[in-house]
Amino acid sequence: MATDSRTALVAGDTSGTDAVAAVAVGVAAVVFATAAAAMFGIVSLTDTILGVDVLLALGGLLVVLGVAVVSFGVGSRLGYVETQPRSSAGLVAGLAFTAIWFVTGGLVASQTLGLGTAGWLAVALGFGAVAFGISTFTREDVGSTIPAGAITVFAGLVFLLGVIDASWAWNLQWEQKASFTAEVAIPGLTLFCALVSGWASAKAYGGFGARGRHAGAYLLIYMNALAIIAVLFGLVAFTAVKGFPGLTRGFEVGLGVGPTTTLEYFLHLPFLDVAPGFSFSFDWPFYLPFAMNGVGLLNDFNGVLPAIVGTIWLVVGASLFAIPLGVGAAVFLTEYAERGRFTQVVEIATNGLWSTPSIVFGLFGFAFLVPRFGGNKSLLAGMLTLGFMLLPLVLITSREAMLAVPDEYRDASAALGVSQWQTIKSVVVPASIPGIVTGVILGVGRIAGETAPLLLTMAGGTFVPGGQTVDVIGGFAFQASPPFVTNPELLQATSALPYQLWALIAAGVGQSSNIGDAEAFKWATALILLIVVLGFYAIGIAMRQYFRRKIQS
Amino acid sequence: MSSLQDRVAAVPGAFSRALRRSREFVAETDPVALAVVGIMTVSLLGALVGFLLVSALTAVPFVVFLASAAYGWVFHQGLTARALTFAMTVSTILILLLIIVFIFAESVPMIRYESATVFGVSVPGLRMFIQPNWDAVSPPIRYSMVPMIHGTVMVTIIATMVAGPLGVAAALFLSEIAPPAVRETVKPGVEILAGIPSIVYGFIGFTLLGPWASDKFDILGQGTYLFVGIVVGMMALPTVVSVAEDALAAVPESMKSGSLAIGTTDWQTMTSITLPAAISGVSAAVLLGVGRAIGETMAATVMLRGVPRLTEPIYNVFYGQETLTSLIARNYGEADGLQMDALFVAGVILFVTVLAISIVSQYIEWRMRRKLGGEA
Repeated sequence: MATDSRTALVAGDTSGTDAVAAVAVGVAAVVFATAAAAMFGIVSLTDTILGVDVLLALGGLLVVLGVAVVSFGVGSRLGYVETQPRSSAGLVAGLAFTAIWFVTGGLVASQTLGLGTAGWLAVALGFGAVAFGISTFTREDVGSTIPAGAITVFAGLVFLLGVIDASWAWNLQWEQKASFTAEVAIPGLTLFCALVSGWASAKAYGGFGARGRHAGAYLLIYMNALAIIAVLFGLVAFTAVKGFPGLTRGFEVGLGVGPTTTLEYFLHLPFLDVAPGFSFSFDWPFYLPFAMNGVGLLNDFNGVLPAIVGTIWLVVGASLFAIPLGVGAAVFLTEYAERGRFTQVVEIATNGLWSTPSIVFGLFGFAFLVPRFGGNKSLLAGMLTLGFMLLPLVLITSREAMLAVPDEYRDASAALGVSQWQTIKSVVVPASIPGIVTGVILGVGRIAGETAPLLLTMAGGTFVPGGQTVDVIGGFAFQASPPFVTNPELLQATSALPYQLWALIAAGVGQSSNIGDAEAFKWATALILLIVVLGFYAIGIAMRQYFRRKIQS
Repeated sequence: MSSLQDRVAAVPGAFSRALRRSREFVAETDPVALAVVGIMTVSLLGALVGFLLVSALTAVPFVVFLASAAYGWVFHQGLTARALTFAMTVSTILILLLIIVFIFAESVPMIRYESATVFGVSVPGLRMFIQPNWDAVSPPIRYSMVPMIHGTVMVTIIATMVAGPLGVAAALFLSEIAPPAVRETVKPGVEILAGIPSIVYGFIGFTLLGPWASDKFDILGQGTYLFVGIVVGMMALPTVVSVAEDALAAVPESMKSGSLAIGTTDWQTMTSITLPAAISGVSAAVLLGVGRAIGETMAATVMLRGVPRLTEPIYNVFYGQETLTSLIARNYGEADGLQMDALFVAGVILFVTVLAISIVSQYIEWRMRRKLGGEA
């Protein structure tokens, strides 16, 4: 969108007042940060900062902030500050302030003054009506600053006068008891007031009017985006910090410290004694017990190797089922089928499958697949259930990728006299491969972290010994009678990372003594799961970025 | 809109047209190829029937199918590919149908058991919704869905209050406001938020948020609808953001430029042009977010108390008992017989609700696309 900039000529005489409003925004930011820190217990309300109680500091800053906001609005009204306000702050802001002051009035009347229902309702209505009048019927500069500044000053005074102090608590008197304690009420109230005043000051900074509203709205929207990224970063960083010690217990680097892996393949030919083939073994140059061991009494360090291998096989199985099916269906829908009833029904079915809750897939797998695979929960049932979940994701993304292939490609190919299937095979599918691959990787990342379907279809143990690591390739056996191929490894339960984390949580802390530090073990499992899933996402997103750049250049 | 009679009259016409077309198709195509495709079809259907009937002989028709498909692929690739991709397309519908059939079938005994009599008429399943007691152990054994529906509604309302406004604001930010460099970092960030497994969210909520909330709100024990709702809202957020962003991006650039050209600010353009034009798509996004929130399982299971009863008072968000999803995830282990069927009833309620939401939001999106004159 177009970005607007002010020339020096226009901006010249408003720079002083801009500075005042900018300072108010700055104060709001400081208050916001302090309150957030208090909310999460980084600073305590009874601490002192620079010799002042945190609570008093918050109250004082709120009063300063509120007064600044109000004085800016009044200054603008009296013409000391040059702004371009509209005649009213608007209905949305008016209703918001009405609600805020209604609640404030009601709480003061019922909790502080102890009035009955009729009393507090009357007071609340009175407060709300006044707020509505001020914010809607006065000019915008007054209407959007006075209610905001007043609530901030009011909150500040409540803290300063000790109406709400650090030991305050408001019992809600419910049958199942709950109360608002000062530790959450004070930071919460402060955060809210800082947001409201910050919005009002941003509006003032923009000089009210269209530009002021723009500034106020942008402040809130930028805060929101920032908060989302902060939450994401916080979650990942927190899991990483908590899980790192458990993950790296017993970690060693050096030649020959790791377990030995042998790769071998011998071709057993009939009627011959010699079996041509090769065998090659090597020692891993590092040892990460958490990812290379199972759980065992004799282990120095326990790990989750069976779950990691289980997750890998689940993903492989689900992909083998869903990718051909999804891509094939996408080919039919985009290339062969004419748009009509049939494609519509398929689209609705696909989107319906996409939004079906994962636990319902679990129930379906339990009712449909488990009885058909020997009546036990099994790896194969888990694979297919996850495959059902992956299918709509693959279908939707492949279809989008194929629709994005320009029709000129198809026409050019058809003009050469090439058959439709040849065109699909050598033009459409290759051109849409980047999109398909990206979508598949993102979809796989999602199912790799799914727990709910596995509960009912695959399950597994809480602490799995290393010897139970599933060996799918070695399990295949062929026979002459139906069903021709058997694989007991596929038909027994195994563990997977998300399931194992659930089992550890459900089992409770310290259930098993041979695990050592159970808490560290759980966090390390969470971290390794996060690494696996976010690894898929990172690869998928990076690929998309790469292909997009390639197309643009 | 054609009337019903017209449509009924059109059916034989369409049918005969289809018949004629297929006859022409048969006449034009190599008979060997047709035979191969015929064998493929029959054997695949046979394998399906065998699988449904839990037959040990399922593998026989399946092997026949594989062999015929391999032969067809080598000698008649075009037609075989077409038949195969068609079968794959049908399989998506088939899976949805199978889900419907199997979870409904499993829930029937429960619906029979919980019949209630209204005005002398016995209504199957009604007693699950008119009394709030869940007791699977001591008689009278009652399976009520009311506490779980209450829990799901509470969590979904709170989650929507989180994911709706924040998600739409984030979508506005990504689609209209953010400079390209910021956009390139925030957008993957939102996607990764969707990628964090729900059990990890649940684990963090259980170990961190739960004790914190119990302490700060002076609650007995651990588990609140409020914080489950907030966590689930965060998990539904990416869905809202990506769908709403698509809707906002679908508003033609000319409309936005036209508005900006008469001197409005970006924000005015957004509130008076872009958002109103995309409002149906944005509401579809919020609806899909609601669907995600309803179906969210592991975070709720880990963070809730697991006691199927109503909170007291009923709007008490500081106590979290059980949702439809967590009921299934918590009780599948020891449940058998009637109780297992009760879990399937919970599954049916979830499935039907979410499917309805999905269909409604698709309809809204389809109408918006038509209105904006895009494709379709």
